[in-house]
Amino acid sequence: MTVDTMPGTPSPADAVPPAPGARPAPRRRRRRLLGESGLAPYAYVGPFFLIFLAFGLFPLVYTAWVSLHEYRLGGEMTWTGLDNYTWLFTSEQFYNALWKTITIGALSTIPQLALALGLAHLLNYRMRARNFFRISMIMPYATSVAASTLVFAQIFGRDNGFANWLLSLVGIDGPDWRNGNWTAQIAISVIVIWRWTGYNALIYLAGMQSISQDLYEAAAIDGASKWQQFVHVTLPGLRPTILFTVVVSTIGATQLFGEPLLFGGGTPNGGALGQYQTLGLYMYQQGWQFGALGRAATVAWVTFVLIVLLVVLNTALTRWRTGERSTRRAAR
Amino acid sequence: MRIRSTAPVVATLLSGALLLTACGGSDDEAASSSGGGDGDVELSVSLFGTMGFEESALFEEYEKQNPGVQINYESTQGEDKYWPALQTKLASGSGLADVQGIEVARIADVVANQSDKWTDLTTLQATKDIAANYVEWKAAAATTEDGKVLGAGTDIGPMALCYRTDLLEQAGLPTDPAELAARLGSWDDYVALGEEYKAAAPEGSAWMDSAGGFYNAMVSTSEEIYYDEAGELVYDSNPAVKEAFDTAAAAGEAGLTARLEQFVDPAWDQGFASGSFATIACPSWMIGYIKGKAGDAGAGKWNVTPLPGGEGGNWGGSYLAIPESSENKEEAAKLIAWLTDGEQQATVFKNVGNFPSTTDGIANVGDATDEYFNGAPIGEIFTASADAAPTQILGQDDGVLKNTLVKALLSVEANGVPAQEAWDSAVSQVENQLG
Amino acid sequence: MSTTTTQLREAAIAAPVPPAARRPRRRDPGSAGWVAYLLLALTAFVFLVPFYYMVVAASRPMAEMNVSPPPLLPGGDLWSNIQKAMEQQDLVKAIVNSTIVSGAVTVSTALFCTLAGFAFAKLRFSGKNVLFGIAIGTMMIPPTLGVVPLYKLMSDLELTGRLASVILPFLVSAFGVFFMRQYLVQSLPDELIEAARIDGASSLRTFWSIVLPIARPGMAVLGMLTFMTMWNEFFWPVIALNSSNPTVQVALANLGSGYVPDQSIILAGTLVGTVPVLVVFALLGRQIVNGILAGAVKG
Repeated sequence: MTVDTMPGTPSPADAVPPAPGARPAPRRRRRRLLGESGLAPYAYVGPFFLIFLAFGLFPLVYTAWVSLHEYRLGGEMTWTGLDNYTWLFTSEQFYNALWKTITIGALSTIPQLALALGLAHLLNYRMRARNFFRISMIMPYATSVAASTLVFAQIFGRDNGFANWLLSLVGIDGPDWRNGNWTAQIAISVIVIWRWTGYNALIYLAGMQSISQDLYEAAAIDGASKWQQFVHVTLPGLRPTILFTVVVSTIGATQLFGEPLLFGGGTPNGGALGQYQTLGLYMYQQGWQFGALGRAATVAWVTFVLIVLLVVLNTALTRWRTGERSTRRAAR
Repeated sequence: MRIRSTAPVVATLLSGALLLTACGGSDDEAASSSGGGDGDVELSVSLFGTMGFEESALFEEYEKQNPGVQINYESTQGEDKYWPALQTKLASGSGLADVQGIEVARIADVVANQSDKWTDLTTLQATKDIAANYVEWKAAAATTEDGKVLGAGTDIGPMALCYRTDLLEQAGLPTDPAELAARLGSWDDYVALGEEYKAAAPEGSAWMDSAGGFYNAMVSTSEEIYYDEAGELVYDSNPAVKEAFDTAAAAGEAGLTARLEQFVDPAWDQGFASGSFATIACPSWMIGYIKGKAGDAGAGKWNVTPLPGGEGGNWGGSYLAIPESSENKEEAAKLIAWLTDGEQQATVFKNVGNFPSTTDGIANVGDATDEYFNGAPIGEIFTASADAAPTQILGQDDGVLKNTLVKALLSVEANGVPAQEAWDSAVSQVENQLG
Repeated sequence: MSTTTTQLREAAIAAPVPPAARRPRRRDPGSAGWVAYLLLALTAFVFLVPFYYMVVAASRPMAEMNVSPPPLLPGGDLWSNIQKAMEQQDLVKAIVNSTIVSGAVTVSTALFCTLAGFAFAKLRFSGKNVLFGIAIGTMMIPPTLGVVPLYKLMSDLELTGRLASVILPFLVSAFGVFFMRQYLVQSLPDELIEAARIDGASSLRTFWSIVLPIARPGMAVLGMLTFMTMWNEFFWPVIALNSSNPTVQVALANLGSGYVPDQSIILAGTLVGTVPVLVVFALLGRQIVNGILAGAVKG
């Protein structure tokens, strides 16, 4: 993991501490980074790392160790080396879960970010009741996964659900949301979209408010229409923010767990065809339904590697897009 | 999977936790060490679902009869949540109650893999001979090869068929339990009657709730299901399993099922009230469930008749067990002995429908009827089913197999997957999981 | 364990926003036309309607919700359903517990993550990159799996069933460090620290009198987000706690146990459990929104 600023932060304050010795001499005078005081920095990060080691890192490292064993819940560990990994890569359900994670991820992330962008644009206008609209954007975020999934599971009920009742008003015979392959994925995506869209809209709004007026004026002088201004000024200006939300949503989508679990009534099958069995659910099923903790640990680590790959890929893309910006440091 | 002995690590952890834990694994923040006055003891009881003791106020009763005993009771709604938490606690050797509930689907796993984590009830005064009270197979399932009895049965799940009289009437079928039973000589008859129902049924109403439930009812009547006597997996060669699967799949394909996943789909719950299905395979504990879901409006609309052909079967039931880490084993054993006594079992049956697992208990409920179900003689029906029930052979991975096959059947009825394809895919999943 | 998807998403707050000093001239976007109002009203409706549905379903007997079309107006059973939920689970205790847990986690996250964030933002020490990389890397690990070792750890510490078992693993979060570092890099001028050092102030004193005041707005936003995340945390608490000493999510998970689960009662309980957060939101929503909008950068 490289330590990087948020992709393409336009901010001059950059976050990459340069490697010692690589710093140009004139900069030394400025001394952005302080602390020849030896141990002081460690005292600052100490409390965090101590707690973190005990309750964050230890369980996770232990998980890697567990993945090399057969470990039945309530039983004991038997060393099996890489057996769990060979098992995983020959398991059809793993590939299904991988694929479903990707499709549900796409179904929930793409509309979510597109809607958020549109909403941000609307919220950017001067208006009455501005605070009401802005607060309503993050109300869903304040609800627990459990509460929102419970309500949506009712709404998407086949026989007496609210969604199908609405459809019946316009003469459509509603689908069996839960059991259909794509409909179940859509239902779950809707829960995710509902919870996160407004939140992302606010982040885009923050990004929009930081785009300089001059750019718009210049575009207007060139005769660009409102729409062209949006495409040629707003979108490029938001690119770093968009890339960032994409990365964060990707990580979120890869770890999707609560919504499909509760949508499936607390069982991790993810439907008859495993149509909404995400990697998170697959891991839970191995560990806590089938009691195979070693395998669950293996799924967790493969998921982890997957996310790292995605993020590294994204960082590389961002680096490539923003050139050397992330290694430049601003003079204040 | 072979049976393993305890690893030194776990043993160390266990003993370490025991030494450390002053309050004997009591979860309650306020719980103090139980070494108070003479006879003063706090017992913690951790159960799941509807086991009926709290609902029948039995804990209060016990406290009244035994001054000085205080019971801290807690219950988790879903067994699927309860079991992982219990296993996590077992693995760490702490946080366990003095009395824990164990679902019948887990008992084989407990007996095979966890005999060192649970107390042998025969070593405790109050439960020394408890196994003798039970219908034979109930006690046998909780007994290890070397004769340890790890659990005391709370209830069993003898089978019947529950049906909606109003819906059957609309479809022109017999509504009297005896007449209906006369038409149901076998599972095939049940399916055939379903075809008749379908032809004349009210719109939006299917003959039964789900292929999975139907399948479970059918296999619940065989002795050998997924494992044979020797503990070998035989699910893919056992004709009883394949026949039940095919019959249920065919019913699903023919549109006789409402395609509602049991306990998962909110529409299944709603179906009891709204009439999405006319019949449902009914273990005794389902009686209480139907009352809860169909509500007052459903009173008098339901009735009960024996399984087709009067077969006996068993689906579900639970055990009470004492973790090895408990510090109040003798007191816990007294409580268990009292709770599973014939009289208390009969009380629980009358309140929530959980059928007694002791011979005394069964004798006590033979004449029970249920107003809600048109005065059906449920005591008689379930007793007959329990008497005729085979001694089921349970295996440690029954849960995986049942889950996979029921899921496959749902894919047949709800997604139109061909039956053979669903079967093959289930078999390959099971092989991947257990191979 | 100490990272959740939610927090990852929150990382977006640290999204690119230039420091106030360099904020460009804001563009006047013009005022909203009726189309914008209509679309926004529709969105607000969609965002709020599930809450309304919750109220409707919680205020009627379950059987009434199972008909088609579903009723659109609240019934009269809300109070009795809430009472039933209260009888089954000690929701008052659960809310108190959740407040304690979320409060403790919020305070500690804000404090420790600010300390560490400051060091990562402004101090130079060897191993810094590696340490920071480790912290950030763990944001990507699915949190569900650390449960077994974590439970062992908690039981060795004799904490299972107590609130401490839920508080400890969440005392700090990688996200929090990341967030505070990002924030301080942008809003803490080096000159201030330099000046303090030249004046001979001790490191701790510098932190106390210079860094903290500047970090406060960022800490407030982090705190509020942490509070909400923690309030809604369910997987670990359900395993670590039990219904005799629950948090709100644990109590809700056990609603309906020992009885036939009744959707209306569960929803009534959910409503009660959600209300405190919504109240916090109604009161502080503006600050949260503005905090996010300001990229948590205020002088």
